[in-house]
Amino acid sequence: MSDNATPVLEMVNVVKTYGAGDNAVTALKDIDFYANPGEVVLVMGPSGAGKSTFLTIAGALLKPTSGSVTVSGINIVEANERDLPDIRRERIGFVFQSFNLLEALTATENVTLVMSESRGGSPHRARELLNMMGLSHRLKSLPKNLSGGEKQRVAIARALANNPDLILADEPTANLDAKRGREFMLLLKQIAVEMQKAVVIVTHDHRMREIASRIVWLEDGTFRVDVATTKDPVCNRVIELEGAPNLEYEALRFYFCSDACKVLFEKEPMRYAGT
Amino acid sequence: MLLVARKNLFSERTRLAISVGGVALSVFLISLLLSLYRGWDEKVGGFVEKTNVDIWVGSTGTNDFLTAASIIPLDNSNLLDAIPEIKAWSPLIVRPMTGVKVEFPERSDKEAEGTKMDMHLIGFDPEKGLAGPIKMVEGNGKPGPNEVIVDEALASHYGINLNDIISAGGKRWTVSGISEGGDFVASQTVFVSLKQAQTALQMEGLATFIVMQLADGVDPDEFAAEAETQVPQAAAFTKAEFTESTRDVVLGDILPILSIVLALAFIVGLAVSGLTIYTATIEKGREYGIIKAVGFKNTYLYRLVFEQALVTGALGFVIGVSLTLAFGRLAADQVPQFVTLVRWQDLLVVFGATIVMSLAAGYVPVRRLAAIDPVEAFKA
Repeated sequence: MSDNATPVLEMVNVVKTYGAGDNAVTALKDIDFYANPGEVVLVMGPSGAGKSTFLTIAGALLKPTSGSVTVSGINIVEANERDLPDIRRERIGFVFQSFNLLEALTATENVTLVMSESRGGSPHRARELLNMMGLSHRLKSLPKNLSGGEKQRVAIARALANNPDLILADEPTANLDAKRGREFMLLLKQIAVEMQKAVVIVTHDHRMREIASRIVWLEDGTFRVDVATTKDPVCNRVIELEGAPNLEYEALRFYFCSDACKVLFEKEPMRYAGT
Repeated sequence: MLLVARKNLFSERTRLAISVGGVALSVFLISLLLSLYRGWDEKVGGFVEKTNVDIWVGSTGTNDFLTAASIIPLDNSNLLDAIPEIKAWSPLIVRPMTGVKVEFPERSDKEAEGTKMDMHLIGFDPEKGLAGPIKMVEGNGKPGPNEVIVDEALASHYGINLNDIISAGGKRWTVSGISEGGDFVASQTVFVSLKQAQTALQMEGLATFIVMQLADGVDPDEFAAEAETQVPQAAAFTKAEFTESTRDVVLGDILPILSIVLALAFIVGLAVSGLTIYTATIEKGREYGIIKAVGFKNTYLYRLVFEQALVTGALGFVIGVSLTLAFGRLAADQVPQFVTLVRWQDLLVVFGATIVMSLAAGYVPVRRLAAIDPVEAFKA
């Protein structure tokens, strides 16, 4: 943990087990995690590693089996179930992979909707946030009339609506092309640094490493240190070297997330080796 | 109204139209049937209710005004003059008649032959005026020999005017007046003097009823009860009792059928609005999950659904009632028997039924919303 900052998100000895008895599956095994104001923390790892469980617990959508989770000083494990929605609304901003805007509402209305008056919410602030996201010309547009990048920027404005200390993003660039994805991750970095938000991103996108203050690797329900990673040249996912399917091509070794990607590489090595 | 509820409702016009249309159709059917029933109820019992008579006396077994087969001998009826509680009394003859001929002498030859009609012949004492025409629209309210007063609904239906001729029981009566308040939907009143009716119907010395006005301060209920005790072969009714029993006899059989049709109309409205609200909610299930994920409670989602359901219901109510009013007038012009009476009390009941319909339509989707896991919002 950083020595000179109070974490916005702090998870200590968190365990999450689904089911009971012989059917019990432990998704998170005694993990510790923190995110400080102004930093972007990337949570990476293979599919089924427990990333979704991690995100839903950090987002006060799910309570852990044991351990403590603190968001902006509020212990959400001990909090009353009825208070969790208010904690989510006022203390946490969510950015989803599929944007998740409400289709019947305009960009401004999507932001205004979640605003809490107690946190200074107002239509004026919604417009201000959208202007900040470069969407001043899209204030009255419905989501169906926005591009993927614009939708994601509306989603960011919505996440910032109540000025939360913590932003949780789930694969935020998965549905964006390379250019929009890069613009978007720089925006996230800017928000973290200039607005002093803690930004936690669960992603497979290796490009996000560029903006990360820290990267943690989640695998089999635990955070692993000293994990050697590389990028799958076919799907561009960040993968752990150990145990990954691999092959040598022109004196270089390439690693893949799956045998399927390896086969694709073998068919057109020149196409992928240069990426 | 919540922003999301309003936007969800009005952003999909087709769905809104179907949903509101379903409720409107239901409200239209319910309010139309109800107003039709009220219209008939008003007409059927209206004459008895509005007459200047306090007590109706018929022979035993008499139950109502329209179908009574009562026959009362008038031999000792003068004894009634000695009863101080009776302010005025009079024999009254009431007989349904079918195939009565009406002639139009002032028209062209072909039309002058006239037509045939059904009616209720009422023979009353023109001097005392008990149970006579409720209100005169045209002409004289006291029919003389060979004169008749026709109800305006009958006059309107058959095109009868003053000086036209009505023939019944071997008598020919000239129309001397048009009255109102004698329309029973299926038949209407025609008034002649008591003597004329007795002659035409061969009922000299007989009457169908004896009608009475009571002296001030006399309780009609007590008087009717006492009359039946004193004269066991007579059936005595207060005006209120006779009105109600007349309505019961004519409309009593219709009410259960009407209740079933009303229930069906309610179910149709409930089904249409319920299905549209349910499918809209299920289609928006992911969005409701998002709303939950970003920090709204189940109560907010419930409010969203119920507000949409209630606004749908309110719009359906307004349209349905408007249709009822418009259709009622249009239909009455074409079919005289289509008599509707829209009462604000009934509209309140229909509005209540619409609210219940809307809340019930929202109930099932609301239960689904409670089960939505906000974690779903994280799924791509």
